[in-house]
Amino acid sequence: MNVVVCVKQIPDPAAPPSLDPGTNNLIRAGKLILDDSDAYGVEMALQLVDKAGEGEVTLVSMTPNGETSGLRTALAMGAAKAILISDDSLAGTDALGTAKVLAAAIKRAEPDLILAATESTDGYTGTTPVQIAEILGLPSVTFAKKVEIDGGSLKVERQTEAGYDEVESPLPALVTVTAGVVEPRYPSFKGIMAAKSKPVETLTIADLGIDAGQVGAIGARQEITDVSASEERASGEIVVDEGDAHQRVIQFLEQLKVL
Amino acid sequence: MDFRQSDEHLMLREAVSAIASKFGHEYYVAKARADERTEELWNAVAEPGFLGVSVPEEYGGGGGGITELALVAEELAAAGCPLLIMVVSPAICATIIAKFGTDAQKQRWLPRFATGELKMAFAITEPDAGSNSHNLSLTAAKDGDIYRLNGTKYYISGVDEAEAILVVTRSGVDPDTGRGRLSLFVVDTDTPGLEKQVLPVEITAPEKQFTLFFDNVEVEADRLVGAEGEGLRQVFFGLNPERILSASLANGISRYALEKASAYAGEREVWGTPIGRHQGISHPLAKAKIEVELARVMTDKAAWLCDFDGDSPAAGEVANMAKYAAAEATLAALDQAIQTHGGNGMSSEYGLADLWGMARLLRIAPVSREMILNFVAQHSLGLPKSY
Ligand SMILES: Cc1cc2nc3c(=O)[nH]c(=O)nc-3n(C[C@H](O)[C@H](O)[C@H](O)COP(=O)(O)OP(=O)(O)OC[C@H]3O[C@@H](n4cnc5c(N)ncnc54)[C@H](O)[C@@H]3O)c2cc1C
Ligand SMILES: Cc1cc2nc3c(=O)[nH]c(=O)nc-3n(C[C@H](O)[C@H](O)[C@H](O)COP(=O)(O)OP(=O)(O)OC[C@H]3O[C@@H](n4cnc5c(N)ncnc54)[C@H](O)[C@@H]3O)c2cc1C
Repeated sequence: MNVVVCVKQIPDPAAPPSLDPGTNNLIRAGKLILDDSDAYGVEMALQLVDKAGEGEVTLVSMTPNGETSGLRTALAMGAAKAILISDDSLAGTDALGTAKVLAAAIKRAEPDLILAATESTDGYTGTTPVQIAEILGLPSVTFAKKVEIDGGSLKVERQTEAGYDEVESPLPALVTVTAGVVEPRYPSFKGIMAAKSKPVETLTIADLGIDAGQVGAIGARQEITDVSASEERASGEIVVDEGDAHQRVIQFLEQLKVL
Repeated sequence: MDFRQSDEHLMLREAVSAIASKFGHEYYVAKARADERTEELWNAVAEPGFLGVSVPEEYGGGGGGITELALVAEELAAAGCPLLIMVVSPAICATIIAKFGTDAQKQRWLPRFATGELKMAFAITEPDAGSNSHNLSLTAAKDGDIYRLNGTKYYISGVDEAEAILVVTRSGVDPDTGRGRLSLFVVDTDTPGLEKQVLPVEITAPEKQFTLFFDNVEVEADRLVGAEGEGLRQVFFGLNPERILSASLANGISRYALEKASAYAGEREVWGTPIGRHQGISHPLAKAKIEVELARVMTDKAAWLCDFDGDSPAAGEVANMAKYAAAEATLAALDQAIQTHGGNGMSSEYGLADLWGMARLLRIAPVSREMILNFVAQHSLGLPKSY
């Protein structure tokens, strides 16, 4: 059972990032960390491989400046190796371009299963994984809250607004996982020490046979035309309990049509 | 010279910090006040192997050194959970056993130090021999195949949580100097004849301190660690890690205090502007920050020397200096953090004043400020000994 996990390396959300005033792109200079959303995919993959008793977890990431800090974290958790695509001509790539690049890299690993997060923490369009599946001609199941491999097939509990759907699919397939799917482990000390010597294959788009015109700012079909601050949230209503708090809370929820 | 943190050390810090932050200072204080142990925290840190980082790999440990162990202790303390037991169990006891133990002893204890399952207390201090270890009077007398231990130890931390105690004993007298010859024994805490009495102290910490009465305690010969009569030299091997880990606890407390203080100073307004704008508040905090960072550099250096040049005289000198600097810095940092909080500094809610006992302890133990100054005066400056 070979699993590829797409892991995005992002600027540390704890340190407020800044945008390039010219392109409105996120400035990605400096250290990047493993997107928390992808820690779930990594954990899920490790558990599935563990259960299968054979195979390994390969990470795939597209990142500027050959940055590997986030990958090392995922390798320390237990992934076996990583493929990193880093190329100056990728600057300004949109989600479709990213999907093309990641799909080409994933293909080389010949996985039985591909995992990604439902959406990233910094870009959060939530569109990249399904585009990868489409390019690779594979089935995709999104919003997984439980993933199992049974014989040669995939069983997923897919989170919906009402509850969950049970979905079965043949392998290979792509699955996007939610934050509820598994609890990511902390890297162990041995894992941390081993991470340094695990292989990270760094590729350019030429290595992947991708034409520079399809990616980067030139190939992008998305353009960020404007960025504005989100509206301040109106201050909430404080319910002081004068014996009728429960009724007022119910009223409020009814008004929101959540009850 | 490279002062950058390696990726491995950063990852280790992050992982320990993430675990410890889930517990935090409130958990630590609640456990201490309820006379309970911080078992959940201990297990959570032990699970990924973080308490066994310095145990050799062949015994299931991480194969790292005191550098890594110090970093774990600092991150725990920085999250508001300074664990005194780390100074004794993995730092002193595991180090001494790994260095001087027989194969059988290493097999017996190291794998469980590696997993954190085993805690061992360390007993050297006696009512009549604190700073002066040459005065130890707890005796170990050979009696056929066994040794009999008689005497008293006090201020021994964590005996109730420990499975065994590494005890420093006097097993003879050097005929030339008249000084005691010391030997080390691992004594199980439930050995008959060993009485344990809680010694109450004004420190809010989950570890309790004990007075130990040894009344004809029988110890098998296979519990003697290293060579008989060589105890002093062997203990010194554990004392550098002890000093370094104490420094790490102090440095972690300092970081915790300064983080709280700067957050508070940035928010609290008394005259329509954050109090952190008043230099009467910001300068002492800046000064404390500098002193803490200086102590941290010295602690790193001490840990590096301990791991890579442990036999050099500098290893002991620098470990002592780091311990001194870190203890002084943490008292200044915590004091200023409390001052910055005004009345809130003394509240239970803000979680600062309850650390005073621990920070204050670090000026006294495991080696007092004065004994370090004696050491530096004598060994670093070549001044005559006063005692
Ligand atoms: C205007 C613009 C400029 C950009 N400039 C650059 C650039 O200079 N350099 C560059 O490398 N990228 C660049 N990108 C690509 C961008 O960082 C994202 O990778 C891509 O747009 C996916 O968008 P998202 O964050 O919304 O992903 P989502 O679709 O929300 O991501 C869902 C999941 O897909 C996977 N995934 C997404 N992106 C990646 C990735 N990059 N690597 C591995 N897994 C991934 C992760 O599992 C992620 O959680 C740019 C994008 C835009 C829109
Ligand atoms: C909470 C706590 C936990 C402890 N845990 C342990 C433990 O787990 N194991 C253990 O073995 N011990 C432990 N100790 C003991 C600790 O290491 C000693 O208290 C410390 O070494 C000081 O020794 P003392 O108390 O005998 O002080 P003393 O030696 O009596 O010293 C008293 C004062 O005189 C000063 N002084 C002494 N000699 C000189 C000199 N020559 N020149 C100048 N000044 C001098 C000292 O600095 C000190 O200020 C602990 C103590 C405490 C309070």
